[in-house]
Amino acid sequence: QSLKCVTHNLHIMICTWDVTSRRRHGQTDFCYTTNDLSPPVCFKTKEKKVEIPVPESSSTVTITTSSSSGTPFANKEFEINKKDVLFIPVTPRILSLMPDFSTSTLNLKWSDNGSVFPYGLDAFWQIQVLRKETMEKVTEVTYHSKLTHEDVILSWNWTSDLPLECMSHYVKIRCYINVTQFAGLKDWSDWSPVEVIPGKDTDPSGSGVFPLDTVVAVGSDVTFCCVHEEGLNITNMTYGSKPYPMIQLSSRSNAIRVLNASASDTSGTNVVCRFNNGMLEGTVLFVGYAPDIPQDLSCETPNFRIIKCTWKPGRPSGLYGKRRTKYSLFERTSGKNVSCEVNEMNRERVCGFPVMPGQKIYDFILGVSNPIGQTESSLLVDITQRVHPKTPEKLTVSGNNSTSVHLRWFINGSFAEIRLLCQIEISSGHSEQKLHNVSMPGGKLSAYTAQLNALLPYTKYQFKVRCSAADHFWRWSDWSRIEEFTTAEA
Amino acid sequence: ADSPSAALQRRDLCARGIRLAGKMRADVLNLLDAYAERQGLDASASVAAVEGVPAAAVERWDEQTGTQRLLENLAAYRAFRALLAQMLEEHREQLGEADAALGRALAAVLLQVSAFAYHLEELLRLESRGPPGEEQEQEEEEEEEEEADGPPPQPPGLFEQKLRGLGVLRELAQWAVRSARDLRQLAKPSPGSGPAPSLA
Repeated sequence: QSLKCVTHNLHIMICTWDVTSRRRHGQTDFCYTTNDLSPPVCFKTKEKKVEIPVPESSSTVTITTSSSSGTPFANKEFEINKKDVLFIPVTPRILSLMPDFSTSTLNLKWSDNGSVFPYGLDAFWQIQVLRKETMEKVTEVTYHSKLTHEDVILSWNWTSDLPLECMSHYVKIRCYINVTQFAGLKDWSDWSPVEVIPGKDTDPSGSGVFPLDTVVAVGSDVTFCCVHEEGLNITNMTYGSKPYPMIQLSSRSNAIRVLNASASDTSGTNVVCRFNNGMLEGTVLFVGYAPDIPQDLSCETPNFRIIKCTWKPGRPSGLYGKRRTKYSLFERTSGKNVSCEVNEMNRERVCGFPVMPGQKIYDFILGVSNPIGQTESSLLVDITQRVHPKTPEKLTVSGNNSTSVHLRWFINGSFAEIRLLCQIEISSGHSEQKLHNVSMPGGKLSAYTAQLNALLPYTKYQFKVRCSAADHFWRWSDWSRIEEFTTAEA
Repeated sequence: ADSPSAALQRRDLCARGIRLAGKMRADVLNLLDAYAERQGLDASASVAAVEGVPAAAVERWDEQTGTQRLLENLAAYRAFRALLAQMLEEHREQLGEADAALGRALAAVLLQVSAFAYHLEELLRLESRGPPGEEQEQEEEEEEEEEADGPPPQPPGLFEQKLRGLGVLRELAQWAVRSARDLRQLAKPSPGSGPAPSLA
């Protein structure tokens, strides 16, 4: 009676049947036709289950049941149509369930067993996450994928609103494959065996407040739990200095929920769990901001050896020490990456990048990241147009002529690739300050000179000099120190 | 018995040690308040005994010899030196430049503790016994750690780290009091005049 056939792979089907007679059942003769032309295939079995090919359209099955003495006592013929065959995929196999306690995230990996099926079929995976020994369903999602006629490992992440340590989490999965070309019935597979991530409240020595020392954005809602050893009672749980109403999760785990968390102090906000024996357990929450996009990113070179980039950081992140916002400077052409040493307490941000031999154009990306987020800013710059020379040094004035002097100074840096424009300020007690511009080829770690004429004899002058790039002016250097000189008598 | 000059030298070292201990205690108490406030802790929070911190309270204090006093003091301040250095490192790692004032205060107390330990070594040298080498102490500590089998302990969470810092500073404040008492005891000339008894 009630012959049923189920296939898991569209090729082979498992047929089962019942025998209503109360006589002791010996063995069965099972015959089936594969198509109208060829003779039936027959074999004997002691089971009430056989595996035979899924018919192209239909198959005639004859089942003869004999008693234990071999006398046939029941014989029945069935017509199995392909559309009566039920397709149920093989129960999915969970390969791994990994917890990331720092982010309260579960990562599930399983095999899609796609090699058994034709290419391109739609597969639907129902995943359930459950909690507590009572297996309360927390979430159920349906995940879609395409089969590729190969066994592919699929991965799915789920972030809990509760730290994973607070209680045990269980995951199970089942699948449905939409075999469009299969005329038979289709149904979900069985659920996979459950995989568990045990909570700390199931570990006899497990205790603590969770999540442990985590970082969240301002405005976040955070759930903390306090897991304690058997026999202890929690007297209260505080966030900062404020007690919060407790939610019991299990006999050894209580939680509080903090809404819209505000920025924490530099050392973080303490979440403290006090016990009836006076002892404390706790964790620290750091509440800050994701980094702002750096503003006014600007890069220049003082000496064609180093490029100095500066920017405005925007809103402070409120995170310090190893959680501080970190900066790195990546240059696309050379592929070089430099991490920037930045003191989070002072507002100015500077990062140095080496000048690459023979490279004028720099395609910078300033990467910014902290535990809450990341962003970046970019800048394309020709450093020959961003020269900001260092202050001219060792300015000397000489000359034994009554109306002219010879100036000589030194600039640290190699400017051989550009022309320099230098400006000399001449002042004396008698006349107004004058500016004298002079341009010259840049040199490599060299001294520069200039001749000034039409001076007054026997007059005390003060000279100072500053320089910049001649062709693409960017910024003047600072003025050199003042050098005094008195011209010779006429 | 000591020569008069050795006794004089010991009394001078003890007097200076007592002043050092007094200053250190005042600074530690200030630091304790600042530390509790900056770390968001209740200054009166109960803290479990901190591992590696020798307890200042001692039974039968009266019966201790001078050498025992100095040796226990030295072991304590060497332990505090290591613990304060660790606290300073943790401070830099967690806060960086954000709380430089607390960092400076921690560093200042660490300096005083180091100076006090050196002072105790001077006193021990005076009794021509000489302080135990630090390596010897470290070996004893390592043996204790090896005996305590089982997996390496999980690094403490930040809150536990904060509480431990509170416990270290509290115990250090107690030790400063005890050290002053110990040094006063050492500085006392023994009854029946004559030079102060040798520390043996």
